[in-house]
Amino acid sequence: MDTSNSLVIETHNLSKVYKEAHALQGIDLSVKQHSIFGFLGPNGAGKTTTIKILLGLIQPSGGQATIFGHDVQRDSVAIRKRTGYLAQEPRYYEHLTARQILGYTARFFYRGPKDLIEARVQEMLELVGLEDKADRPVRGFSGGERQRLGIAQAQVNYPDLLILDEPAASLDPMGRHDVLEVMEKLRKHTTIFYSTHILDDVQRVSDTVAILNRGKLIAKAPISELLAGDGCSAIYDITLKSEAEAALVGARDRVTGQPWVQNLNLEAEGSLTSWQVSVSDDGAAEDLLLRLILEDRSLKVKHFGRKTYNLEEVFLELVEKENSK
Amino acid sequence: MTIQTQPQTTRDLRLAARQGLLPARGSGWLAGFGNMLAKELGEWFRTRRWLWQFLIWLIIINGFLALTLFVLPALASIYPELKPTADGVFAGLPPEVGGVMMYFSIIVMTGTIGVIILAQDEIIQEKQSGTAAWILSKPAARPGFILTKLLSNTIGALVFIVALPWLVTLVEIFLATGQLVPLVPFLVGAGVVLLALFFYLSLVIMLGVLFESRGPVLGVAFGVMFGGLLIRNFFPPINYVLPLSMEGIALMVEQGMALPVIFVSQLISTAALSIVFILVALWRFQRIEL
Repeated sequence: MDTSNSLVIETHNLSKVYKEAHALQGIDLSVKQHSIFGFLGPNGAGKTTTIKILLGLIQPSGGQATIFGHDVQRDSVAIRKRTGYLAQEPRYYEHLTARQILGYTARFFYRGPKDLIEARVQEMLELVGLEDKADRPVRGFSGGERQRLGIAQAQVNYPDLLILDEPAASLDPMGRHDVLEVMEKLRKHTTIFYSTHILDDVQRVSDTVAILNRGKLIAKAPISELLAGDGCSAIYDITLKSEAEAALVGARDRVTGQPWVQNLNLEAEGSLTSWQVSVSDDGAAEDLLLRLILEDRSLKVKHFGRKTYNLEEVFLELVEKENSK
Repeated sequence: MTIQTQPQTTRDLRLAARQGLLPARGSGWLAGFGNMLAKELGEWFRTRRWLWQFLIWLIIINGFLALTLFVLPALASIYPELKPTADGVFAGLPPEVGGVMMYFSIIVMTGTIGVIILAQDEIIQEKQSGTAAWILSKPAARPGFILTKLLSNTIGALVFIVALPWLVTLVEIFLATGQLVPLVPFLVGAGVVLLALFFYLSLVIMLGVLFESRGPVLGVAFGVMFGGLLIRNFFPPINYVLPLSMEGIALMVEQGMALPVIFVSQLISTAALSIVFILVALWRFQRIEL
């Protein structure tokens, strides 16, 4: 069976209500095996709530969620046997050392000779670079060290699914770089579902993104589609060169006369004029837009292309649009 | 399509098996139980806690007994004016009976306060600090989490508050009177006072599950203890329900005396209420949001 397109996480109409507040409203997610799925949203959007429901730490008010085909409410222990989890603010028993914490975590998954469990613990300590602090109580650890320990304990069981809640939030740029590198390395073995509000990280490592705002899923797509603007109205960037004002006016009238053209913004600089054309029908624009402009042979097109976005633009546009509803 | 991979074929187990590691035992209610219990017992026996607990209860229980068995009679022989006090300390009972009575009484009073204080933070602290959420994100069952807290504290109380002082009490009475207290009846009597401690442990664990701060846990637990003692004279039926006379019951059992109905009822009710507290704690913790 080709499992490359198999779904590891599936939610249908997942919701969570706290008294009067709707923390989650009808969330539908599907996370493919071996993907790095970025779960994006402003603070308080419902990311951690979703993650906690998936782990069985809180109960949903409605809807369904499955991981590896197991229901998250009924078969939570079976799911957690194959899952690694890093909390947003990892908490441990403060008097225990990093080695003791990893040993304790490992024994939830494995039994066997003590030295083999210790070898696995040592492997994890080396992975996150905590060998020299392994025997110190965690109470003296910095935020970054706690986060690294969190990554180690999340991976101690070779998880099929890693759920990371804001894994890079408390790290310095080097720490963030390391975490993202580990995530990329693990992609071929593991499915990674992680929440974040750091847009650069998402753009760098994720292959699929879901954007959550005020408990609602407002976008969900492969990151390439999202950056191409599929979540927003399509905009074409065009740069024209012409000495004759009349030719430009004529072209503009032809374009704005089309029913599928929503808006045209222009900016002139010397002999170059930049247009940004918003269209409602991307297919029609692809077929006709350039032809309409070039009907006048005196116009020269220096640049023509569909505008690509960075994630921040997409995110802000979607969130603002949703907030203004 | 959702994958339905059998656990034995998953990547984690394949890689672990390559290293010689076997999947942990225990599923359902027992998932993670052994690991959590080992950790909780480790808090009692692999830290300095055991030493402190041993010393504290040795001083409180056996130290006080030593005062009455050895120091007070010795002082009375030097200062005759102390003789009435020394003679009256066991209310006219022979020292081997009075010593046993004192052991039961001190445990029921101070041991109860001790277990309430020791256990009041067990659940609250884990909920507040987020360690409960961390543990329960691993393959660990919620009932196991509660039961290991209860079991480890019961074992701790058994060893340090009941058993070790029991042994020292035996030696103290033997040294003071030259008589060996009959072991089995004394053991059964110690079982009665352990039941009293278990009642308060179960109560405090349940309250830790139900409340989010220490105040109500301590308030309700001490309220049951001292409130019960205060109102039992005004509202006698409460003596049929709450463990308010456990030291007396323990002594009667140790002396082989028949128990009146009110004490039988108290014993049964204490055991039954302890079970109810545990069931409520398990039921509620299953639904708690972490």
